[in-house]
Amino acid sequence: MTIGGHLDSLYRLPAYTFPGPDAGTEDLPEPDAFAWRITADAYGDGEDWTTAFARFCAAVDTTRVRALIVGGWAEAYEMPPSGVIEALLAARERFPALRALFLGDMVMEECEISWINQTDVTPLLAGFPALEEFGVRGGTGLRFPAVSHGALRRLVVETGGLPAEVVRGIGASDLPALEHLDLWLGTPDYGGDSEVADLEPILSGARLPRLRHLALRNSEMQDAVAAAVASAPVVERLEVLDLSMGVLTDEGAGALLGGQPLTHLKKLDLHHHYLSGPFVERVRQTLEPAGVEVDLDRDGAEEDTEDGGRVWRYVAVGE
Amino acid sequence: VIAIPVVRPASSTGLRFAVVGNPGSRRVSLFGDAVRAAGLSGPRVVPWTDVLRERGADFAADEIVRVDSPGEDAEVDRVLRGVADPTRVEGSARWYAAFTAALRGLRGGVRLDDPDDLAVLFDKRRCHAVLDQAGIPVPASPTSGPDGAPVRGWDDLRALMREHRMPRVFVKPAHGSSASGVLAVETGGGRVRATTSVELTADGRLHNSLRVRRYEREQDLAVIVDALAPDGLHVERWLPKASQRGRATDLRVVVVAGRATHAVVRTSRWPLTNLHLGGGRGDLDAARRAVEAAGVRWSDVLGVCERAASCFPRTLCVGVDLLPAIDWRRAFVGEVNAFGDLLPGLTGLPGSGAEGLDTYGAQVAAVLRAPARPGPLHPYRTGTPHA
Repeated sequence: MTIGGHLDSLYRLPAYTFPGPDAGTEDLPEPDAFAWRITADAYGDGEDWTTAFARFCAAVDTTRVRALIVGGWAEAYEMPPSGVIEALLAARERFPALRALFLGDMVMEECEISWINQTDVTPLLAGFPALEEFGVRGGTGLRFPAVSHGALRRLVVETGGLPAEVVRGIGASDLPALEHLDLWLGTPDYGGDSEVADLEPILSGARLPRLRHLALRNSEMQDAVAAAVASAPVVERLEVLDLSMGVLTDEGAGALLGGQPLTHLKKLDLHHHYLSGPFVERVRQTLEPAGVEVDLDRDGAEEDTEDGGRVWRYVAVGE
Repeated sequence: VIAIPVVRPASSTGLRFAVVGNPGSRRVSLFGDAVRAAGLSGPRVVPWTDVLRERGADFAADEIVRVDSPGEDAEVDRVLRGVADPTRVEGSARWYAAFTAALRGLRGGVRLDDPDDLAVLFDKRRCHAVLDQAGIPVPASPTSGPDGAPVRGWDDLRALMREHRMPRVFVKPAHGSSASGVLAVETGGGRVRATTSVELTADGRLHNSLRVRRYEREQDLAVIVDALAPDGLHVERWLPKASQRGRATDLRVVVVAGRATHAVVRTSRWPLTNLHLGGGRGDLDAARRAVEAAGVRWSDVLGVCERAASCFPRTLCVGVDLLPAIDWRRAFVGEVNAFGDLLPGLTGLPGSGAEGLDTYGAQVAAVLRAPARPGPLHPYRTGTPHA
């Protein structure tokens, strides 16, 4: 599967796409009421991202903008968003209220997730120390050397393949305010070369005292992730555990249920799974009586069986 | 302005239809139903097999002649394409030559189509150029019209994509239909990939399948494109389409006598939205709301389709594939289909004049309301304002 729709909100603000150059700017909404989505023209010879951003800065009181969504930039299949990052950093004095930023909100029809070229995104965190939410889509070329950031509460990295170096960089980061961590680990086919050992600093929770929501998902090694989570110290402080979108089978679910109790969770999200009927029941019977909301929607997860009997299972978002 | 069709029959009670088609096909049956529902006797069915065997057919001067698709009939397909296996992708150039020759053999009657229009509609390169010259928004194409670049194979395609800075394109057999042989090709970062319903078998043959698949090895793409190229290829920039509930979305809009009468939304998890490839029907009301929320009038969206249809003024009905841009503020014409009216059970748009009628009923009604005019066939005008 692929990414089909743009973000509909960020920082609990509904997304609003800043109109193109031929539309008027008279009727724009209040700057602080929406998450502004700024995108390059995807239809050929139109405006590039930095030009759209310059227009945005001229049309909107940027001192009141709280959330920005970077959509597509020109030739995202070939080029990282270096110019985007430079433009944002150059304008940082004009965005004192900015609290949320998402980089690369492109759908399949614009650029498949694993074809989006990324780069080192941590200068944005350094440049916006008050940022509370940061998200990025696309793992190709993505780098995330360890950072310290005192305000970040939510970090989302959506990929079809998350480089191990990024996993390690996030694990080694100092993020004392982080409450919500969402990593799409992806598949080795698209550069997701992390191993469970790379997750250890996250699973220990040593540097993540405020973590309440942990998503380690969309993983080809979802079973191994689940098994590691089963004994991870961080779990006891979580309200939401999300192991969805990956290749989770009875093996991983069995390991998860055989580990530490999960009955303190508010929610366990396993949607898009490959569990057998009995295991679905087992998960439900173990957790639902304790008041845990369990998402076991199969959500289109389908096995392909080759003539030779080999079974193929897929993560929810690869490509 | 009401579209000005067709013909006044010699006698008002003697209106009679003929249809060139494959007897027993859904198309012929549904058209016959529509004629009978209008209180007329059913159309004379002239089988494509007869037309092809006898190199033509004759019609009475007052017979109203509908030409319907020769498709979905293995024997007709074999004769037209010269390929025994109906699932094979190749042979569309021969199909085109045989089909247009057969059209020229239809003599007499009052035609609801036009051989010259059909010759353009079944050549995507010519069709693109006609639309482009008329100012209809279409995706950019390096193969448009008679001066378009030839695509002799994979190397030509790669060169065109580079030269025209089109890292993502649709590659379509110039004379294909129903997504047969269509590839959505994307390149970037040293990678290449095609999404298509073409199945490349181990012996290098190409078959149409009902399953969309992906090829990521350049040698596979080269084999496929090299095999398709002799039939003629049309290349267009792949413009990102809007989405509905996370699925790529386009519209099929049927235009009858200049007026957009029927529309469906098609959605897919693939860039190819054809219903037989697992696409589903989307939500037309939601599409309209999305368009209006983007500050665009729905009538302007339908107007794009009507303007596209107006490029084929001697053809009563076409099906326009409209590609809404991702922000719903713009829309592009992806295809104009001569036989794009097979939408069983779908009734007309509110205010279109075809409410309660299917696409076939709308065409019969358009013929019946034709004002009295002598002579053969009058162009179908467009420009009808929508409420």
